Amino acid sequence: MSETLAKTEQIVKKAKKLGADEVIAKTTFGRYRQTRFSNNQIDISVAWNNYVTDVALTWKKRFVATQIQNFQNVDQSVKRLYQLAKVSKENPQWGGVAKGKFRYQKSKADKAVENIRNPAEYVFEAIEAAQKEAGQKDVNTGGILFSKLEDVYLASSEGPAGKDQRSAVELSIRAFSDREASGHGVECSSTLKGFDPTMAGRKAGQIAKQAKRPKAGIEGRYDIIFDPLFTGSLLGMWGFMVSAYSVMLQMSVFVNKLGQKVASDQVTLRDVPASYSMANRVFDDEGVPARENVVIRKGILETYLHNTSTAKIFKTETTGNAGLVTPGAWNLELDAGNMTKEEMLSEVKRGLYLTNTWYTRFQNYATGDFSTIPRDGIFLIENGEIKQSWKDIRLSDNALKMLNNIRGISKERQHIHWWSEADPPSLSPYVLMKDVQITRPK
Amino acid sequence: MDKDIADFALEYAESKKVEYAEVRAHSEENEQLVMKNGILDAYASMVDSGFCVRVLAKGGLGFASTNKWTKEEAKAIVDMACKYASMAKRKDKIKFAEEKSVKKSWKVEEKKKIQNVPAETRIETLTALDKELTSQGINVPSRILQLGMNLAEKYFVNTEGSVISSYVPRIAAFNFITVVENGKPEQAYRQFGYAGGWEALDQWKMNQQMIKEAKVLQRVIKEAKAVNPGKMDLICGPEVAGIAAHESCGHPMEADRILGREMSQAGRSFIYPGSHFWLKTKIGSPAVTIVDDPTIKNSYGYYEYDDEGIKAKRRYLYKKGIINEFLHNRETAAKMKTRSNGSSRAINYDREAIVRMANTFVEPGNMTEEELLEDVKTGVYMRSFTEWNIDDKRFNQRYVGREAYWIEKGQIQHPVARPVIETTTQIFWTAVDAVSKKVEYDAATCGKGDPAQGVPVYTGGPSIRLRGVYVK
Repeated sequence: MSETLAKTEQIVKKAKKLGADEVIAKTTFGRYRQTRFSNNQIDISVAWNNYVTDVALTWKKRFVATQIQNFQNVDQSVKRLYQLAKVSKENPQWGGVAKGKFRYQKSKADKAVENIRNPAEYVFEAIEAAQKEAGQKDVNTGGILFSKLEDVYLASSEGPAGKDQRSAVELSIRAFSDREASGHGVECSSTLKGFDPTMAGRKAGQIAKQAKRPKAGIEGRYDIIFDPLFTGSLLGMWGFMVSAYSVMLQMSVFVNKLGQKVASDQVTLRDVPASYSMANRVFDDEGVPARENVVIRKGILETYLHNTSTAKIFKTETTGNAGLVTPGAWNLELDAGNMTKEEMLSEVKRGLYLTNTWYTRFQNYATGDFSTIPRDGIFLIENGEIKQSWKDIRLSDNALKMLNNIRGISKERQHIHWWSEADPPSLSPYVLMKDVQITRPK
Repeated sequence: MDKDIADFALEYAESKKVEYAEVRAHSEENEQLVMKNGILDAYASMVDSGFCVRVLAKGGLGFASTNKWTKEEAKAIVDMACKYASMAKRKDKIKFAEEKSVKKSWKVEEKKKIQNVPAETRIETLTALDKELTSQGINVPSRILQLGMNLAEKYFVNTEGSVISSYVPRIAAFNFITVVENGKPEQAYRQFGYAGGWEALDQWKMNQQMIKEAKVLQRVIKEAKAVNPGKMDLICGPEVAGIAAHESCGHPMEADRILGREMSQAGRSFIYPGSHFWLKTKIGSPAVTIVDDPTIKNSYGYYEYDDEGIKAKRRYLYKKGIINEFLHNRETAAKMKTRSNGSSRAINYDREAIVRMANTFVEPGNMTEEELLEDVKTGVYMRSFTEWNIDDKRFNQRYVGREAYWIEKGQIQHPVARPVIETTTQIFWTAVDAVSKKVEYDAATCGKGDPAQGVPVYTGGPSIRLRGVYVK
């Protein structure tokens, strides 16, 4: 057993000795690196190291939590936490944490992401690719190169114990071919093997070139082709709503809809904490092996995402998605369809190809009414061909209706993550959707 | 917090012959209570303590942080920051605007010390709120109430001789409720924030605010009618004026955004060198003055010195309808050949300080709310908003009314169901012809940066009257 896991288990033992009922301690040694760039130059490079143990305990169904930094003041912190539990208030719905011993898959994390020898090279490769693709040297780019390596040690008084290593690397680049014309590309992975920053640069440059001289968009209902980057944002929105916690708070269009049709037949949505993903992991925050869950199968809502406690409330089993308080998706995958992007285009008489979005906000999570603002390339499609670049529009529609209006899904999929707008990570295809409401400022 | 380690890190950075270095140490005590549908889901209590070093070397910036308080770790992060700064190889070298060094210690007083409030009282506060809300005969099936405390001690030193210590206690609360009537749900959220002590709870009167909100939602479901789309007058209450001031004035006036540093995340600005919109050009009517002011006592965005050690002051962003002053840190100020106006903020030791708002609001005018109303033949009074967003140039924005009423011949009539104004920054602020006397503030968490840094701010204003705007 590693020294760190032993220290983590010691915390659990100390809390148990004081009288706690259930104790979970999770130690994370995280090394995070980021290079930020804009105007084709590096603005700053950042390294942050974090050594922290998250400790949660229950006493007579009172749930309390704390953090211990770098194993400092362990006795004092655990004692203080236990005292807090004693004066806290019972949660009669508390369903406990996972019990038993589990076997975990071996992590396939890539240690090389911790110390990328020259991050600037990755950044400049992406910039050059964007400029080359756009066919102009004065393309203005900005973005980030991010990497993380986390060593995670988990110990639970209820049995689970294990070690995980989680790695991720992301290059996100936005390219402007002129003031109003831009494209965005991302390259995301858990490993440096095969990681190609130029892929992101080329995509950003290609869209930026096509987006030149945009005209003000026109309100109306359109068939839409969503680029994988935009699909990633939509999956994040639907993924948030399948958390059992969101359902309990009515921050979801899926309340009381288990077993019902919530999407078009073409939609199969999974949560898969796979080794390729930036969100790779072998166990959740209770130590339950993280696993694949089919959330929506051929349009039918099969499950919410649970931890042990929410699962008990819903009279089911955990899906391995703890968060101790809030279960959530790790890595969403929309199953591939049978279309190519070109076939999708040929299906559209008058519609739009939207490449990215941001600032998604809801009027009402329960009804699903929301709007979001497409950015970067916005293209008018007429009779299967891209005819014009647009700007200044807003997608104003309904989250549930949109799921049902999906008419086509591409074979091609891309691993997507950017900022907080396409989060959690996903495996996202192009999506063809019918009859989407577009508005614009007046 | 071990200030000796922070000082050691600075000395070590100085020994590396860098152009500039600073060390910022934070020690923060945080508590968070989450009550869901009347049940205390979690009570988290933690201490987070660490320090960062930021280095300017060879015209590039490097930053590194740690929560391990040892000299070895201090040396390691200084080395890392220096290596990263040198790696930039910029054509145009980064410079910082000249500023005087400062030696200062400042703190925010608590009338009722947060640490003296027992955990039981904190829990009981939320329990009582939930009980009172659910005993009004209104169906509120989903409720989340959160209460958070943050006691932040900071220590800042730089190679120019600044030494600043500070202590800011902050208390914050959040609620999200769903009211259902006749099977139809309506939702609302509200955030409260204060720099100071437990006395905040007495001032907020959260129980009254939440009950009022629940009644408003119930009435909206029962009585609200859709508005006939068209051009009409619109009165925006302080909450709506505040979010508009934040989104379409505060954000586009951030100099780092104007210079493109946020281009791939939060975006750029409709204001940029060579644009139709620049300093001393018109953006709104003479009735519009919007300020950002970190020095409002006990405000959620309060500070006396920013995270580069620059004294905070009131900034006039839009002045009588004219673009007047950008928000600057030392880097953007140097690029624009001006001085920092103390707008650099970081949410914790492990984040770079970047240009941020503090408390952004529309300055009051001289009319009463009744005077604003009496001159409106037909229109909408939007007291609060639900959905909102704005494009990444900060020009195309939308606010959807939560509590809103139809106005006819100067009189408030029935509630209006989710009226929408979707317009541009220029149209919005140019349409303002009158502003009321009384300013009200709302607490908010402003998002920006990568990794995201949510900083505490106020948004606010008086009621403002817009003439002839399109409402649907």
